[in-house]
Amino acid sequence: MAFKYENDQLTSLERVSLALQFKKGDRVPAAPLFCGASHRVLGITYDKWSTDSELATKSLLASQELLGFDSFVTLVDLSVEAYDFGQEVIFPKNSTAYPNFNNQFIKNAGDYAKIKLVDPRKSKRMKSVIDICAGLSKAKGKEVAILGFLYGPLGVLSQIRGHKELFKDLIRHPDEVLGAIEIITQVLVEYAKAQIEAGAHSVCIDPLYSSPTVLSKSMWERFEGPYLKRIADAVRNAGGIVTVHNCGNGVYFEEVIKWADPVAISVAHPAYGCKTWEEHVEKWGSKVVTIGYSDPANTGLIMAQEEVVEDCRKQIELFVGNNAGYILSTGCEFPPNGNLLSAAAMVRAAATYGVYS
Amino acid sequence: MPEGKDELFKKLSDSVVYMDESLTVQLSNEVIDKGYDAYEAIEKGLSDGMERAGKLFEEEEYFIPELLMCSDAMYAGLDILKPHIKTKESGEKHRVVIGVVEGDTHDIGKNLVKIMLETSGFDVIDLGRDIPPQKFVETAKEVEAKIIALSTLMTTTMEGMSEVIRILNTLGIRESFKVMVGGGPISQSFADKIGADGYSINAAEAVRLARRLVGGAA
Repeated sequence: MAFKYENDQLTSLERVSLALQFKKGDRVPAAPLFCGASHRVLGITYDKWSTDSELATKSLLASQELLGFDSFVTLVDLSVEAYDFGQEVIFPKNSTAYPNFNNQFIKNAGDYAKIKLVDPRKSKRMKSVIDICAGLSKAKGKEVAILGFLYGPLGVLSQIRGHKELFKDLIRHPDEVLGAIEIITQVLVEYAKAQIEAGAHSVCIDPLYSSPTVLSKSMWERFEGPYLKRIADAVRNAGGIVTVHNCGNGVYFEEVIKWADPVAISVAHPAYGCKTWEEHVEKWGSKVVTIGYSDPANTGLIMAQEEVVEDCRKQIELFVGNNAGYILSTGCEFPPNGNLLSAAAMVRAAATYGVYS
Repeated sequence: MPEGKDELFKKLSDSVVYMDESLTVQLSNEVIDKGYDAYEAIEKGLSDGMERAGKLFEEEEYFIPELLMCSDAMYAGLDILKPHIKTKESGEKHRVVIGVVEGDTHDIGKNLVKIMLETSGFDVIDLGRDIPPQKFVETAKEVEAKIIALSTLMTTTMEGMSEVIRILNTLGIRESFKVMVGGGPISQSFADKIGADGYSINAAEAVRLARRLVGGAA
């Protein structure tokens, strides 16, 4: 049975779809990037959730029924793609999987040539995410929005090489890095297409280093911009919608839009050059839909539920009051160990304060 | 005309700023060959260069790749100069024990804070990543640290930070150390909640915070 608040008139899918077109549905959609936390709803361990697509699908479905959020996001963890390129990954029983940074698949500049094409449809972990998209689509694809997810090529490579060494290699060995980025991009293009073909309505691409917290604009554009475009184009050509996620501080909106042209960007902080959310709304509110921006840790681990609602109310008033494109969400993944009722409180806030008159 | 000491130190500083590791090594060897003071060369050459790089980072002229390259150059120079420091010249420095909490292996933020603290004159003991709470406390006691600096990027490992403070309280030594926290999901509210002495949003802020915590100028 679909989760509905008293004044809800649309399905979640209709609500999100309208929001992505800058149109007003019945209310502001709420999509708290509820991913890994879903393992607790089904009562399974995190490692099971990360490696068993059937259990992950059931967990996400159960969570949506319980909490009523308007969109699934198929972020399992940021090491999904890296694993299929050969990176060893550690699967903690009660935490997010991560690469074994003591055993990187790429150990030196010469190793970038070890990156080879893989077929995501026949791989282990990417295939698992494709299967989750298919499972969600089969169960709820006509009612709830499904955002697939993939990590940008530079992000994937950082998981395989290690962040610190990759960042230095951007200066020391750019050609070797670009060679690997090219191969990874070809795989991600197929991965993106496969997610849409499996039933995802959108693929959310994460170009995590497109902010001054990590790279200069020019360096990000050189190493990821054109590759991001190819992945975004593949999503659109497959009939999907392009969305972008980046929880870094001061995302380079102008450059990300130039290369990916997404309909929405999911963020934790105001865009580059905007000191406040008010400035962000003024500059970007009519150009691209903002998905955000509750602080995940504060929301899931610190605030009482009424504080969560109050925090969301302020966001809703700012964006809706200025006719800005907006979907209420956390700025990054809802904490896997967070209070599930806080995610529910976000949805309640949208249903209470986000109703369009 | 032979090169003067100040000129050599300036070149050393520049070599760090311009990320030229091999030149830094060459100039550091020159410092030793000419019998110049190693400690002075570190202060006026390597540290000065890293400090300039840090300013460029704050001004968005440099970013993480550039800063990491500068720090590689600095550490390469330090490897040569450090063995030649006379003990009495190294002075009394505030000691910081730093690490990434248990369950987390993302250490780039911690490394940046370490570099900036060292550049600013702190003596930093880097425990690395995936460090159990007890280890922070034991090391801080052992080296008589002033500050324990805790980092994490994951929400699932944040609790390790409060565990460090809990252990300090249980042992009755909470007042002996200042605890500072940082990392992607960390906020001032979280720092307040667990009773940390401070939170900083980035490496430059971490230095200012550390200075404040030990009673120095911000």
